[in-house]
Amino acid sequence: MKPDTVAIHGGYACGDPSGATAVPIHQTVSYAYKTARELADVFEGRAPGYIYTRLANPTTTALELRLTLLENGIGGIAASSGMAAIASVVMALLKAGDEMIAAGGIFGGTVSLFENTLGRFGVKTHFVDVAETGRFAKAINDKTKLIFVETIGNPRMDVPDLPAVSKIARRANIPFIVDSTATTPFIVRPADLGADIVIHSTSKFINGHGTAIGGCMIDTGGYNWAKGAFVDIKQLSERVGRMAFLYHLKNVIYRDLGGCPAPMNSFLMLQGLETLPGRMEKHCANAAKLAAFLHEHKKVSWINYPALPESRFYDRVKKLYGGKGGGLLTLGLGDKAKAFRFIDSLKLAKNLANLGDAKTLVIHPASTIFAEFDEDARRQMGVSDDMVRVSVGLEDIEDIVKDFEQAIEKTF
Amino acid sequence: MKLVINGEEVKSKGGLSVSELLVEQEVKMPEMVSVEINGRILRRPEFDTTVLNEGDKVEFLYFMGGGSGAE
Repeated sequence: MKPDTVAIHGGYACGDPSGATAVPIHQTVSYAYKTARELADVFEGRAPGYIYTRLANPTTTALELRLTLLENGIGGIAASSGMAAIASVVMALLKAGDEMIAAGGIFGGTVSLFENTLGRFGVKTHFVDVAETGRFAKAINDKTKLIFVETIGNPRMDVPDLPAVSKIARRANIPFIVDSTATTPFIVRPADLGADIVIHSTSKFINGHGTAIGGCMIDTGGYNWAKGAFVDIKQLSERVGRMAFLYHLKNVIYRDLGGCPAPMNSFLMLQGLETLPGRMEKHCANAAKLAAFLHEHKKVSWINYPALPESRFYDRVKKLYGGKGGGLLTLGLGDKAKAFRFIDSLKLAKNLANLGDAKTLVIHPASTIFAEFDEDARRQMGVSDDMVRVSVGLEDIEDIVKDFEQAIEKTF
Repeated sequence: MKLVINGEEVKSKGGLSVSELLVEQEVKMPEMVSVEINGRILRRPEFDTTVLNEGDKVEFLYFMGGGSGAE
């Protein structure tokens, strides 16, 4: 099946006894077995079966399978949020004293997790500028256990050279973890460009309507855990081969942290996936048109959209993402007061902390999602006081442009 | 045609894809199973495109678990 078909049919073939065409919502905590022996067999891994929704749930299984198919993976696990997915993956791999390398200019919540939360547990993160791929290699030392990047950094819009960074990770024998939230499988399939683990915040474009929080982690099968530096996963690989990481994740960290999705939310993600291919096309087309309009506008100080020919990442977007720059862009309006005035003047676009919705969304990152960082740190992360981030929605582009035009007029 | 599935020799009608084999062998909860053939783990989209050959060693693996015995 081609990806557009998988998005609709993958992971569920109307196999429910009722013949339900939509994946049924299994809103249950637990699963009953007729005999004590049967449940014991499932607990001990001798027989397949559901135990408890914190571990697995049939609605969530359908979502995991569909995402795994779309990402060309060997298996996947859904999580309660994108942050839960990132936390689960890195905590499954790292211990106190370990180090990791992460792309600069990525989501503030991820930076906070890596620097503050994991920092408290003795993990050190080195942030590098993805524009110069060689910096990843230079930052590696004998304590480095993984590399983490976003396909399009939010909000700096940096695009890493995925195949080149993958080669660096491969040479160092460490897994390459790629957060593809901003791109989805309908712009790029990171597995095909050397990613070992793919992560999404499914709350964004995959859900597409701002109705549920979720995340997922997919093992692409690219990393050989039997030869890796992770002792317990290596031992496990003797029994389960390449599935060792997913076993480890599911049976230790994911189980212990409890970051499972609600079955209803898994259903909403499945619904979102069905229309993702068409929506992603329009997000990209609308964003490109809005970016072109803002680029020409004399009162806009600067505009950052990776598919604009003026972007320093234009060539990578063209080569790796087929020229599609995603649905996010940022613009500068001179100073914070003007950025605020602009946001306050918008009529159609909503001012809120989310992205990937059918609706056009804006936010002032410096005073919201990056407010916990001081000005110096924000500057390093590419978050200026005059920056407004836009998640371009699916409305008619003429209405979006008109809204931005009138808001800019009122700002100056 | 003979295959070795999880260490045991079994008969299969031959020429089946992995998806069809899961049905033929009445594998429980096929959506939760991962498949290794001759030591190579399959990516999920390969289930429909990979055809079994005589003597192939097939491993069915579940990773849903969560019980103490799973690791």
